[in-house]
Amino acid sequence: MVRTSFTIFFAAALLWSARGVWGPQLPVANNHTSPPANISTNNDLSTRVVAYKIDAKLNTSDHSIDATETLVYRNLTGQPQQTFPFHLYLNGFQPQSTFMTETRISGTRGTGPDAGWDDKHRGAITVSKLEVEGAGDLTSKMEFIHPDDDNVNDRTVFQVTLPKPIAPDASARFRMTFHDELPEVLHRTGYKRDFYMVGQWFPKVGVWWKNAWNCHQFHADSEFFADFGTFEVNLTLPQDEIVGAGGDLLSTADNPDGTKTVKFHSEDVHDFSWTASPHYTVIEDSWTGSAGPVKIRVLMSPGNMPSAPRYVQALKGTLAWYDQWIGPYPYDRITVVDPPHGAFDAGGMEYPTLFTAGTTWFMPKGVLAPEDVVNHEFGHQYWYGMVATNEFEDAWLDEGINSYVEAKSMAALYGQDTSILNLPFASASNAQLMRIEYISFADTDPISRFSWKFINDDAYGSVTYGKTATVLLTLEKIVGEDTMRAALHEYFLRYRFKHPTGEDFLKTIEDVSHRDLKWYFDQAVYGTRVLDYDIWDAHSDRLNWWQKEAFAKDSSNEIHRTYVTVHRKGDFILPVDVVVKFDDQSSVTEHWDGRDRWIRYQYDRRATLVSAQLDPGNQIWLDRNSFNNSYVVQEDRRAIHKLQNIWIFGSEWLSLLLSWVS
Amino acid sequence: MDLVSTARPKTFAAGAALVWRWQRIVWWIFVVNLILARFATRGMVEHAAPVLNHSLASERLVNGFDVPAMLELVIQPDSPLEAPGPAVFHYSVIFAIFMIFATGGILATYVFDAKPTTTAFFEACGHHFWRFIRLLIYLLLAFIPVGILVAICGGIYNRIEANSDSPYSSFYFLLAAASVVFLLLMLLRLWFDLAQVIAVADDETRMHRTLRRAASLLWRNFGSLFWLYLRISLLAWIFSALGLNLWMNHLGRQSTTAAFLLAQVIVVFWTGARLWQRASEALWYREYQATSVTEPAVSPPPTIDPAPVPYISAMN
Repeated sequence: MVRTSFTIFFAAALLWSARGVWGPQLPVANNHTSPPANISTNNDLSTRVVAYKIDAKLNTSDHSIDATETLVYRNLTGQPQQTFPFHLYLNGFQPQSTFMTETRISGTRGTGPDAGWDDKHRGAITVSKLEVEGAGDLTSKMEFIHPDDDNVNDRTVFQVTLPKPIAPDASARFRMTFHDELPEVLHRTGYKRDFYMVGQWFPKVGVWWKNAWNCHQFHADSEFFADFGTFEVNLTLPQDEIVGAGGDLLSTADNPDGTKTVKFHSEDVHDFSWTASPHYTVIEDSWTGSAGPVKIRVLMSPGNMPSAPRYVQALKGTLAWYDQWIGPYPYDRITVVDPPHGAFDAGGMEYPTLFTAGTTWFMPKGVLAPEDVVNHEFGHQYWYGMVATNEFEDAWLDEGINSYVEAKSMAALYGQDTSILNLPFASASNAQLMRIEYISFADTDPISRFSWKFINDDAYGSVTYGKTATVLLTLEKIVGEDTMRAALHEYFLRYRFKHPTGEDFLKTIEDVSHRDLKWYFDQAVYGTRVLDYDIWDAHSDRLNWWQKEAFAKDSSNEIHRTYVTVHRKGDFILPVDVVVKFDDQSSVTEHWDGRDRWIRYQYDRRATLVSAQLDPGNQIWLDRNSFNNSYVVQEDRRAIHKLQNIWIFGSEWLSLLLSWVS
Repeated sequence: MDLVSTARPKTFAAGAALVWRWQRIVWWIFVVNLILARFATRGMVEHAAPVLNHSLASERLVNGFDVPAMLELVIQPDSPLEAPGPAVFHYSVIFAIFMIFATGGILATYVFDAKPTTTAFFEACGHHFWRFIRLLIYLLLAFIPVGILVAICGGIYNRIEANSDSPYSSFYFLLAAASVVFLLLMLLRLWFDLAQVIAVADDETRMHRTLRRAASLLWRNFGSLFWLYLRISLLAWIFSALGLNLWMNHLGRQSTTAAFLLAQVIVVFWTGARLWQRASEALWYREYQATSVTEPAVSPPPTIDPAPVPYISAMN
């Protein structure tokens, strides 16, 4: 989704020496060069369950694709398998699909809940033939299923039952002929004029997970889940198309009919996407990390060239940060796609070794949107690409962790308080904007909810991205930044090229921190409690208040009783510090466990209250309202005057404008 | 009466001098605007002050302007900033109605260039108020074709946006369309301003006749009148842009007094610029009336006395 993240990583010598274990370093061929001499598959990064070979032809006249697919599925489930489910995501772009029905109710990215249907957004994938080696033509055995709802009109999942089961450790070879109708760019994929962004475009087998098939329907607020494997893809398309894909380009061959066939190969990934446009400007660069050189390829659309150096710089910074903080990036390439204007809905999306960014022709340097989107989408190479969580059921594990890391890395690269907006008159930090997202939907849904079951699309975005990031930022303050960093590094190392769950992630944090954090996770991850503390009351009173100014001439000797009442407005319980300052420069720090609804502190001293402040270190990011966390006796009207100035000026302008009209 | 162009190159400066001479009008309008704006923001201040005045978090708004801090205030369930939006609009409408009322007296002052007594001034205001309301209705009708043009441009823009590979095409079209619409609106404003001047100068009661006369005058003197208005508007925009740039980029982040004063200087200038346009037009029409001729003559043209206006003579 449209988020930005970046990570910087550096690898220790151990990682550098282990490079050879991570698989082949395929040289990237330029267009029209011969394929490399050898391709080694001896050093797999992942457990390769699937091997796809796809031959596809793009028909630009009607924006369709004709293709054949051969899928070799290795049965590593430990059980005989006879029934296999497949995703047909493109069928979601039809009026009666579950995706469209949910969009109508609560919206989705780029589309509001009341958006009407436009036929140009129709998409479809039709499997005209399905054969299984040893079982023959099973086209008639295909049946659409609806594991998530009873929508018989939804055709985004089909299953086929083989005549005989496939034994454990044996393989099934599927051959399919299919036809894609691409929509005009909708929800990440499609065409716009002669630009193509082709994702989720082939029949994709489900995942055997937790002892069952996991193959959800396509929802308005879901993403994807698939097994690791290899992809060999031959794309035939017009010769003037400039192609980018999530794979190494092996060869390009011109055909007599004015087309060309480009061949890609990708390993240890769970998806393959590609893009084409005759208008791209290609920018190539490289970066070297602990795992070796990474070839950077940026495909820029017309009008957006001023953002190209910003993309590259942000990507390199993010690569370095991730290398240092999380772990090495093991692939030898990364492709950045800049969608053209009008195709913004294809931007801000991740695929293995390829992601789409997004900018406009006019993007001030103080608005760090291009950097942010690059940072976030690259981050998904880790959280989703390598740590391949189930985006249907645990969206927070990729989007949320990615958002947290985005906040950290953007702050490191672009400043703590200016990481998203850096103008002379205004600033904003990425982390604070995440918090704003969380506040806007603080109590509707737990972050662990299945992606399509949120109250609406806005809540899905705010909670999985913003609330998760805020939860992790708060957790960081609890366990310490170094521990958090170590936990993420450990989580990455444990679960890269695997399918971890939320429990796996949380347990990793507990393992690394050596702390029982269940009390926190129950509230923050699995619950909807809202955290809000406030200073209910804070004031000083003369101890002998009934005496009339008895010590007026020597008030410094007079004893005052100071009361500070702290209140827990929300239901989330979290220990908190309270700092009370007095006018004799002294201060007291209290530590409250937050279990009761309120607590009152009382101090008798020859000084009066100056201020009372909750969470003086601003560590509790989850606190919904930071303005009620402190009370200062001495009034400071600067902020209200500033706001009032702006409001008065705006009102006067509006008045003059209306009077001009009248 | 022959409607010969009598463009005066010095009308631009003379109009400014007229505004300066009767600058109390500028200050009066400015003060009314400021008072109404204060009322409009009172609700916000009353709600937000208790939150901000005693909170350390308000520092984020004082030292620079932290956008998330502002957003946090806005999205709270009981946001202290929830109230002010409608109030600002309501008070702006009140000001607009006030200006319709006050225009009669203002134009009378400019047309006859005489110091008005308070009674005479408000008599002029009341005398012309309903005439100007009728003119407003005509103006709203005149906006309809402009609105249609805007809708057509919007459709063309969407088509260019959808079909053009370059993002600049639609932007340039938008720029061109906005310029045309802006000039059309200024033309309408000029026409109706002139109609108001004629209504006051000639004590005309029939607004459709006034509009016809104004249209005819404008048609024959389009260049000079339009350029007169455009120059003043450009000056106002340039000054405002400079002022805003100074406010946003060069004033201290914590400054409130300096920011307030600068903002009000911008408002005063904008108010003065608008009155400068009115004064220039009134001056132009007055001189047109004084110098217009019915036949070519060798001898100097006869002096034409302005039409007697009983309530204005009270000013003298």
